[in-house]
Parts: sequence; structure tokens; C-alpha cells
Amino acid sequence: MVITICIGSSCHLKGSREIIQILERLITLHNLKNKVELNGSFCMGQCMKGVCVKLDGELFSLQPSTTEQFFKDEVLRRLA
Amino acid sequence: MGSGVKANILATLTSKILGTMLLNGASIEQCVETIVKTLPVCKVRQVAYSTFSILQIFKNGDAYLVEFDNPSCVFVRDGKLQKIPYEEKVIEGKTIKECRFHAELNDCFVLMSDGVIFAGVGKVLNFGWTWNSMADYTVNATRVTLSASRLAAMLSKACDDLYMQSPGDDTTVAVARIINSKAVNIFTGPPMSKEDDARMMRDFMRGPAKRIVSGGTSANIVARILHKQIKTSLNYTDPVLPPVATIDGMDLVTEGVLTLTRALQLMKQYVEEDIDESFFSELDKDNGGSKIAKMIIEDCTELHFFVGKAINEAHQNPGLPFDLSIRQNLVAQMVDYAKKMGKDVTIQYY
Repeated sequence: MVITICIGSSCHLKGSREIIQILERLITLHNLKNKVELNGSFCMGQCMKGVCVKLDGELFSLQPSTTEQFFKDEVLRRLA
Repeated sequence: MGSGVKANILATLTSKILGTMLLNGASIEQCVETIVKTLPVCKVRQVAYSTFSILQIFKNGDAYLVEFDNPSCVFVRDGKLQKIPYEEKVIEGKTIKECRFHAELNDCFVLMSDGVIFAGVGKVLNFGWTWNSMADYTVNATRVTLSASRLAAMLSKACDDLYMQSPGDDTTVAVARIINSKAVNIFTGPPMSKEDDARMMRDFMRGPAKRIVSGGTSANIVARILHKQIKTSLNYTDPVLPPVATIDGMDLVTEGVLTLTRALQLMKQYVEEDIDESFFSELDKDNGGSKIAKMIIEDCTELHFFVGKAINEAHQNPGLPFDLSIRQNLVAQMVDYAKKMGKDVTIQYY
């Protein structure tokens, strides 16, 4: 599974770096390093919806505060 | 000895007179005569001049070196110290040393005041740094860097250390190096109209140059037209700036406005402040802003901006902690500072 996080200007300011850190921590915690790959991407063209995160081609709009929920609801669910 | 105030005023007048006259084609005889006849005579020391070194290098490589009472210019060619075949000439009772020669690629010249070769005298060193030791140090340093300003910073740092941070004399170093012209092209911002993507890209790719792409959408355009992948990384070498990326064939790919803001800060500091070694360690850092500034400052004689004027709606958002809609303003300031550094700058909007 590949998760792509936008690191363009606008998403960067809205917290891409923090989201990446949270995801990295959760991936390590759940021992999923072999199953989940994190990727960066420049502008995905959806700046209004930032921070843009893509999972299996689907676009999600995250904030650092909603990242853990996203991980539970989407990442863990899909892997289950 | 005096406070240095009078000396400083005389030195300023001398350099201004010399600079203005030589630039307008006056001979060294006329210059020295003017200095001797116009500068006020110091009541205490009965002198009306300050020491000077002049190095003129013309576009065709012809060079003219003139010195009066300063330590000789250190001249490094092909990694070796060169002896300068001076001719002496007496003007208005002053002995002037001069030399005409042809400068070659990678030549390095260091002009200095005597505070340099006396650095550390009576403290760390019995006789100070001495011309020979200073020249050896310079030869070694030219192997480390090709940059004139970096070399000047290294030499003045060495003097400062020898003086143990309290210089006993005016310590001035000026460095000139001969390099080929080097172009840097910067693509930043998508054009107002998508139809201009290809035209902007064509202009950006023209001629030999280092190529920087600054901006997420800009990187997408470049990658699309070149049929290449953008390889991003998540390695935050600087917490405030998004990581850099790579595209085959590009020398540097970065985020846009935040990174340019950092680059501009460094350029501004370089032009407006006294820079030392700590500035260069900032410039050597592995982040997009430092990389852009370093390329412009140290690896560029002509700078070409290709600037798209499209406006990103999301960047107009007053809720963001930083105004992202300032690209053109940033570019205008970068152009300004690059010109002050003596670079030839062009700018094209799309």
C-alpha cells in the first residue's frame, strides 16, 4: 500500500510534515513497514482541500489532528 | 599611533579618487598626482596619502596591477604561487609598482593591507603571519574553493584567529578569480495560460545553463513536458522548508515560494551584511533555499528567470500562516540582489 502526501507550499504550511511524522510513527507502532510505503508529491492541484493525501488513488483531505483517525479508518481497515 | 579615523578618511578618499579616475581612463600618473595634490596633509605624520592596491581586469583578459606601499598581491595560477614581474616607477616622489599581464582561467589574485601579513604579531607569532606563510595558506585554500568571496572570508577568518579576535591593525582582503561565464536558469510559477507551458519550457531549456525548477506545479509542468518522473523525498533537512525533489536533466527541483524566500534571505545577507564563515556554512546546508542561493552566489555569472504569472487560488487564503502569493515580488527582489552582486540578470514573464 502506498500513501502519497502532498508537500507543496500550501499543504506544507497546513502541516504535511507533521502528518508524515504521525504516519511514520503509527506505521512503526503497528509494525507495518513492509506493507505501507510513504511517498511525497509536489502539488496535487487540490490546494483548497489540503493537506492532500492519496491512498489507492483516492484523495483524502487531512489535518494533523485527523491523521490518526484516517490511519485507523482507512489504512488499518484496508489492510485487515 | 592614531585612532585610525584620519587613516580611514584618507583611505576612503584615495580609493574613491582612484576608482573614479581609472574607470574614466586616467593614467596612474594622473591619479597619483591628483591624490598627492588634493588630499589634506596629516599634521602629525606629514603625509597626504594612504597605501593602495589596484587590480583592473578587462573582459578580454588584459590585467593591470598597481601597488603603493601595500603588501604585494598574491597571485596563484595552476595551483602555484606566481612571481609578479613588477616595474617600478616614481611619481611625485612616490615609488609605485605596476605590472601589465594577461589573466587566465582560474587565476586567483589576493590584494591586502599590511594588517594581514602582520596578523598575530607579538602575540601568537613573533613576526606576524608574514607574506610567505599567508601566500602558502592562500595557495592551499584555492584548492578548496573556486569562490572569491568564500576565499576572502577564509583569509579574514585566519587573520581574526591569529589576532585572537582583537585585530591590531586594519585588516583588509580583496580576492578576484577568473571564471568562465556560467548561466543559471530558474523556472518558477505556471504560466497564466496553459497554452504557454511549452513555450516557457522551450525558453527555459535554451542554451547551456544550470537549471532550477522552483515550485510544485512548475515541477509538474517540467516533468510532463520532458516525460520524466519527479522523485520526491520525505527527508526534511530543514523543518521549515519542504524537501527537494529530483527530475532527470534538472540540476535542482524545489518547492516554490517558501524556498525562494529562504534563498532571498541569504542573498540579501550576502549583499548587505558583513559575511563570515558562518554564512558559508549556512550556504552549504542541504536544503532547497541554501542550494538555490549557493548556485546563484557562487556558481553563476548570468541569471535568467522564467516566471509564470498564474495565481493559485488556494494561496490567496488569509488563513495560511504565510502569504504565498508573493512570487513575483520575491523574484523582483532576487533580481535586485543578483544585480548588486554584479551578475547579468534577465527576466521573462508568461
